[in-house]
Amino acid sequence: MKNKILLFWIIVALVIFSIAMIVIKPTKLGLDLVGGSRLVLEAQTTPTIAKITPEMMDSLQFAIENRVNKLGVAETVVQRQGEKRLVVEIPAVKDLNQAKKFLGETAELAFKKEVQDKNGVKWVDTGLTGNDLNRANLSTSSSGQWVVDLEFNDKGTKKFAELTQQLVGKPMAIFFNGELTSAPVIREAIIGGRAQISGGDNGFAYEEAKEMVDLLNAGALPVPAKIIEENTVGATLGADSIEKSKFAGLIGLGLVMIFMIAYYRLPGLIADIALVIYSIILFMLFKMIPVTLTLAGIAGFILSIGMAVDANILIFERTKEELRAGRTLFTAINAGFDRAFTSIFDSNMTTIITCIILYCLGTSIVKGFALTLALGVVVSMFSAITVTKNFMHLIFGTGELKYPALFGLKKDEIGRAYTASETKREKAKFGVLD
Amino acid sequence: MENKIKIHVVKYRWLWMCLSAFILLPGIITMIYASVTSPSHLPLKVGIDYTGGTVLQYTIDKKVENSALTTIRAELIKNGIDNPSLQIINVNDNITNSATKDIIAVRTKFIAEDDTTTANKITSVMKSSYANSELVSTTSVGPTLGKELFKNSLIALSLACLGIVVYLSFRFQFDFAIAAILALIHDVLFVVGAFAILCYFLNVQIDGLFITALLTVIGFSVHDTIVVFDRIRENLRYYAKKMSFGEIVDASVNQTLARSINTSLTTLITLLALYFFGGVTTKDFVLAMILGIAIGTYSSIFFASMLIDFWRDKKNQPKRA
Repeated sequence: MKNKILLFWIIVALVIFSIAMIVIKPTKLGLDLVGGSRLVLEAQTTPTIAKITPEMMDSLQFAIENRVNKLGVAETVVQRQGEKRLVVEIPAVKDLNQAKKFLGETAELAFKKEVQDKNGVKWVDTGLTGNDLNRANLSTSSSGQWVVDLEFNDKGTKKFAELTQQLVGKPMAIFFNGELTSAPVIREAIIGGRAQISGGDNGFAYEEAKEMVDLLNAGALPVPAKIIEENTVGATLGADSIEKSKFAGLIGLGLVMIFMIAYYRLPGLIADIALVIYSIILFMLFKMIPVTLTLAGIAGFILSIGMAVDANILIFERTKEELRAGRTLFTAINAGFDRAFTSIFDSNMTTIITCIILYCLGTSIVKGFALTLALGVVVSMFSAITVTKNFMHLIFGTGELKYPALFGLKKDEIGRAYTASETKREKAKFGVLD
Repeated sequence: MENKIKIHVVKYRWLWMCLSAFILLPGIITMIYASVTSPSHLPLKVGIDYTGGTVLQYTIDKKVENSALTTIRAELIKNGIDNPSLQIINVNDNITNSATKDIIAVRTKFIAEDDTTTANKITSVMKSSYANSELVSTTSVGPTLGKELFKNSLIALSLACLGIVVYLSFRFQFDFAIAAILALIHDVLFVVGAFAILCYFLNVQIDGLFITALLTVIGFSVHDTIVVFDRIRENLRYYAKKMSFGEIVDASVNQTLARSINTSLTTLITLLALYFFGGVTTKDFVLAMILGIAIGTYSSIFFASMLIDFWRDKKNQPKRA
């Protein structure tokens, strides 16, 4: 009995801890609930890049992170997925089309020189690229046009000085993303490590120059990347989904609780309390881990409410059966738990097997569902078995069952089954049922 | 042991077999018919998760008639949108008093990131039909990714089946595992068949969540079957010498009847709440699970136990003769 009271207080402490955590910790909501975009970028192989290496992915991730930060939105996420993919999450961005274009842009800056061959004049690489930049700035030229100021790093300054010395009197072209932006004629060697890109004859529009500066500062993508998956949800739809899920969850929970009391009476009420404890502990785990709640994840959570009482039903049915067979209350409760345990364990294991497979192979939406369902199954084993058993023992004690109605049984049902079977009543009392 | 037998699984074996066939046939016929007649030669209409493409969803502030879709579709084609397909998604507007009454989903081929005009064109067509329509969600899947997801889904389904057979063979006997798997196939076939019918008549498209629902149904189907099998296993230990295998199966099914029904019932209650009051995005997903759990309960009571008895009966017959 002492152990049981101790366990009771441990459960109470756990519940209080969970409630405190739920209040303190914020809930991590998925983009489909708060609104926002989830993009999957895939690095593309090109004729020159045959294989995507992990190093390339590192610098790609770095460049994309820089660009995402330039969008000026809080709580963005850039994550690796598999060998050549990046997942980018951007909550609440105003112009997504623009953002998408911005992320996928290679931002390759190249300085080229003119070379004469049999077929005519050609632009060839000089080895000076955007990698040699220290930073880019937006400014205006003397004629009032928008220009991009470039500031080279030490290596770039040296290269640029050598290059301009070579090219005095000749044009040097600046290519951005493979397109010629301007090709000024070099009048004298530039040794200060500074250069300026003007937008050719028409000049740059402000947006054009600004985007170029941002892209240059964020760094070029080491490999071209393409958006292969997109999920965008408006904030209003997300908020609506949360409201509806909350409502559906409460209705579901309420109906299950009513059903349990109506069918199983006092044990049903105990199962209901265990169910509330289950919900609190599970929600606490979601916040502690933390699990990002998506719509599918919430569906998994609500589904698991229905499943959590599953073990209780197995146990109570078995307990009722044992009572009918003429067991004493204490033995019946214990037998109910022990005998139901194998089927609870086996059936929950199969659910966990499918959850593991879903988690390993699924997309991110599916992963959220699998994780919440699996956590739910594990917590439900604790709430439905440990918590319920403890409460049952504390409430019913070891005495005779005076009021069979508490179990939804009729008085004459108790011990009646034993007359129909060959089990002797004395034997049945000790928990042997043959 | 109680001797109240309410349901005779063994005695009416052929009846249950016919009933199962009767439930499964409409779906199977639709699947075959759709595979032959549809241009894609697939039994189900698959969504962009598997084919690649873009879906734009617009909220509409009034109920949308089916006839309106035809007009919008014609208008989209006129604006150069390649083979658009439209679907009305009904919203549960009974709880939140939001202005949204319906959602129209426009599906078209994959819109790449450098193409900013296509989406804008579709939005302007929608605006001209419903002034207050609003683009609330965009989902895009690249064509190669779609194939990959499809492959992964099939791998996941087969792995789940394999994992369960291995686990059950380990915990029970091999023929129990086979019966559980057949019951599981029975359940999955029913859900897929039901969706084939929905796809054919209501233009429903299955997506990644559908496979998730199927996997959950698999978990449940086995879950229910195990409750019965666990009881057969237990009763076999005590009664193997006194009763025939068929009698044990019948007794076990009847002993676990309340359990099988009640466990599914509580799960169904929460799912129905989700279906009627929950968000619109997960509606088909929830429906697949509702169908799966209902059929899973039926199959665990009638189909799986009938099979295991049928199997043992056939195995023992030559010995008797």
